[in-house]
Amino acid sequence: MSLLAEAARILLNGLQTGAIYVLLAIGLSIILGTLKFVNFAHGALYVVGLYVGLLVSQETTFSQGQLAEFGFGTLGLDLGFLAALIIVPIVVFVLGIAMERFVARPFYDRPDTDQILLTFGLAIVAQQAFRVLFGGNSQSFSQPEWASGAVELPLVGGFPQWRLWVIAITGLLVVLVYALIEFTDFGLTVRAGTQDAEMVQLLGIRITRPYIVVFGIGAALAGVAGVVGGPLTVVNPTVGTDVLVPAFLTVVIGGLGSIRGAVLGGLILGITQSFLIQWSLVIPALGIDYGFAPWSQVGIYAIAAVILLVRPQGLLGSEVEIS
Amino acid sequence: MHVSDEGANPTETEPDRGETVGGSTGTTPLSDVRARWKRVRERESTIIGLTIVGVALFPYLLVRAPVISELLRGYQELASLILVWGIFAIGFDLLLGRTGLLSFGHAALWGTGAYAAGWLSANVVQSPLVIVGVAVLFTVVLSVVLGVLSLRRGGIYFAILTLAFAQMIYFMASAPLSFITGGDNGLTGVDIGPLLGSVELGSELPSIAGTLLGTWRYAFIAVALVASVAVILRILNSPYGVVFRAIHGNERRAEFVGFDVRRYKLAAFVLSGTFAGLAGALFTVQGEYVPLASLYWTTSGEVVIMTVLGGVGTLIGPVIGAGIYLWVENVVSGGYPFDWIGPYWHLVLGLVFVIVVVLFPQGIWGIVEDGRSWITERLEER
Repeated sequence: MSLLAEAARILLNGLQTGAIYVLLAIGLSIILGTLKFVNFAHGALYVVGLYVGLLVSQETTFSQGQLAEFGFGTLGLDLGFLAALIIVPIVVFVLGIAMERFVARPFYDRPDTDQILLTFGLAIVAQQAFRVLFGGNSQSFSQPEWASGAVELPLVGGFPQWRLWVIAITGLLVVLVYALIEFTDFGLTVRAGTQDAEMVQLLGIRITRPYIVVFGIGAALAGVAGVVGGPLTVVNPTVGTDVLVPAFLTVVIGGLGSIRGAVLGGLILGITQSFLIQWSLVIPALGIDYGFAPWSQVGIYAIAAVILLVRPQGLLGSEVEIS
Repeated sequence: MHVSDEGANPTETEPDRGETVGGSTGTTPLSDVRARWKRVRERESTIIGLTIVGVALFPYLLVRAPVISELLRGYQELASLILVWGIFAIGFDLLLGRTGLLSFGHAALWGTGAYAAGWLSANVVQSPLVIVGVAVLFTVVLSVVLGVLSLRRGGIYFAILTLAFAQMIYFMASAPLSFITGGDNGLTGVDIGPLLGSVELGSELPSIAGTLLGTWRYAFIAVALVASVAVILRILNSPYGVVFRAIHGNERRAEFVGFDVRRYKLAAFVLSGTFAGLAGALFTVQGEYVPLASLYWTTSGEVVIMTVLGGVGTLIGPVIGAGIYLWVENVVSGGYPFDWIGPYWHLVLGLVFVIVVVLFPQGIWGIVEDGRSWITERLEER
C-alpha cells in the first residue's frame, strides 16, 4: 500500500473513532458550558442508547441476568436499524429532560464536587441495573444490512461502509446542532445564558426552558453515539465509562462550551489513536520493527497532557474560568 | 433546632474550642464531666490511643468473638483488607474532606504502590519494610507528576484530569508495559519475605495477641494504620492543616490572604498520594498478588464511595466506609444468609451511595455524630 493510501485510511479510521468522541463531547460540553453541570453519568446515556438501540433494531438472546431468569431471555422489537436511529434519540432526549428536572436542577446550587459524586453514583446505579437486567456478558449489535460490507474508495481501496456512515451521520448532526446554537433565537438565548445567566433572566427571558432543551439535546447525542457506535463495539454495561473518559478529554482539550472545540478535540484524539494503531517504526538497518498499537490508548492521554501544558484553557477555549 | 458546637466543627481538629464552650454550658456535674471528656477526646494522644484499641479489638470482634463474628461472618484476611483500604480512604480524605479536592485518579497511586511493591518482591528484595518503603517513595514521585498536571486547571477539571491521567497509567500497564506488569494477568510471583528477617507474616501472634489480632500480617498493617493516623493528625493540627481548611472553606479568600493555593493543593495531593501508595504496597503484602484492576478507574471510584459513605472530613468515617464496602463486597455477595440480596450488592451500594450524597452529605459518621449531639442535648435539658 502506498504511503498516501495508508494516510487516507488512517484519516478515515481516525474520523470514525473521533466521531463517537465528538457526539459524546458536544453533549458534555454544552451542558457544562451552559448549565455548569458536570455529568459523570453521560456515559450511562450512551449505554442506554446502546441497549435501547439493540432492543429496537434486532432480536437478542440474553443468556444471563434477571430477565433471562424470568423467561424473557429473547427480547427485541426487530424493527431494523433505521427505527433505532429514530427512536433512540427520542427516548434518550426524554431521559435527559427527566435528568435535568429531577437530578441536575436540585444540584445546580450545590458544589461541583457534589454534582460529580451524584452523577458518578447514578452512573454506577445505571451500570448495575443493566447488569442485573441483561447480565454482564457482551452482546453484539449487528450492522444494518444496507450498510454492511466494504465499499471501494479511490486511493484507499476497500473500506467498511458502516464506518463511513458513522462519519456522515455525525457530520450531519454536528452541523445541525451548530446551526441551532449559532443561528437561531433559541441558540442566542443559550449563548447569552452561557455568558451571564442572571442578566438574561433580568431581561425577562425564562432561561430554564432553553436549559432543559440543551440537556435533552446533549443526552440525545450521547444516545445516537450509542446506536451508531454500537455495531463497532461490544455491548455490555461497563462500556459507558470506557467512552466517558476520552469524551471528557475531548471537552478539555477542545475548550469548554465550544462545539467547534469538541469537534477539533475529537478529531485530534481519533486520528492520534488510529495513527498509533497503524503505525510501526521500521528501521531495517538496526533491525527495529516496533508496532505502536499497544500505545494507541496511551497516546490520546499523552496528546491531551501536552495540549494542556501548552494551552490550559483548551485549543478553542476562552481564557474565562468557570468558577 | 439548636446547633451544638459538635455539629458545627469536626471534633478532632479543634483542640481548645471544647474548653470554652463546654465551660459555658453550666456547672451541673454531668456537663462538667462531658466538657472534660470532650477535652480529653480531642487530644492527639487520645485519638491515637483509641485507634490502637480499635485495631486491636477489631479482628477479634470480626473473626473470633462469640455471636458477633457468627453474625458478621468475617475472616482474618478481611480484617487485614479493611485496614489496608482504611489507610487508602483516610489518605484520600486528606484531599477530599480537608482540602475539598475530588480526585478520581487515586487508583493510579494505589496501583503504582501495589505494582512497585510486587515487582520489588518478585525481583529485588523480600523484606516487607523495604518493599513498602521503596514503593511509597516511588508513589510520591508519581504523585508530584500527576498533581502538577492535574492542578493546571481548578474546579471540575481536577476530577476529570486525575481520572484521565490515571486511565493513561492503566492503559500503559495493560499493554505497552505488560512485560513488567504482567498485563491482563496481573503481577504474579509476588514473594513477601519474613519481617525483619525472622517473623513470617502469615504466622499467628503469641498468646493473647494472637486471640485479639490474629496474624503478624494483620499486626504489620495495623501498625501502619496507627502510624498513618498519627501522621495525618499531626498534619491536620499543624499550620499546614489550617491552610488546607482555609482552602476548603474559601479558596479565593485563602489566595487573597497570600497563600500560594496551588502549592498547598499540590502538597495535599502528594501527601494523600503517599498514603495511597502505602496502602497499595500493603495491599500487595496482604494479597501477594497485584490485579490489573488495581489501576483501573473503578478502584478510584471505590475509595470515593467508601470515603463519602463513611463520612468526609473525619478520621474514622472513611475507615467505617471501607469496612462496610468490603464487608458487603466480600461477605454479603457470597450467598447464605445473604442470598436474597447477594446478587444485587453492587446495585444496592450504588443506591445507598446516591442516597447518602443527596440526603446525608456528612455520611454515616455524620449521622452518628448528629445522633450523639441530639442525645446529649436532651440529657442537658433534664
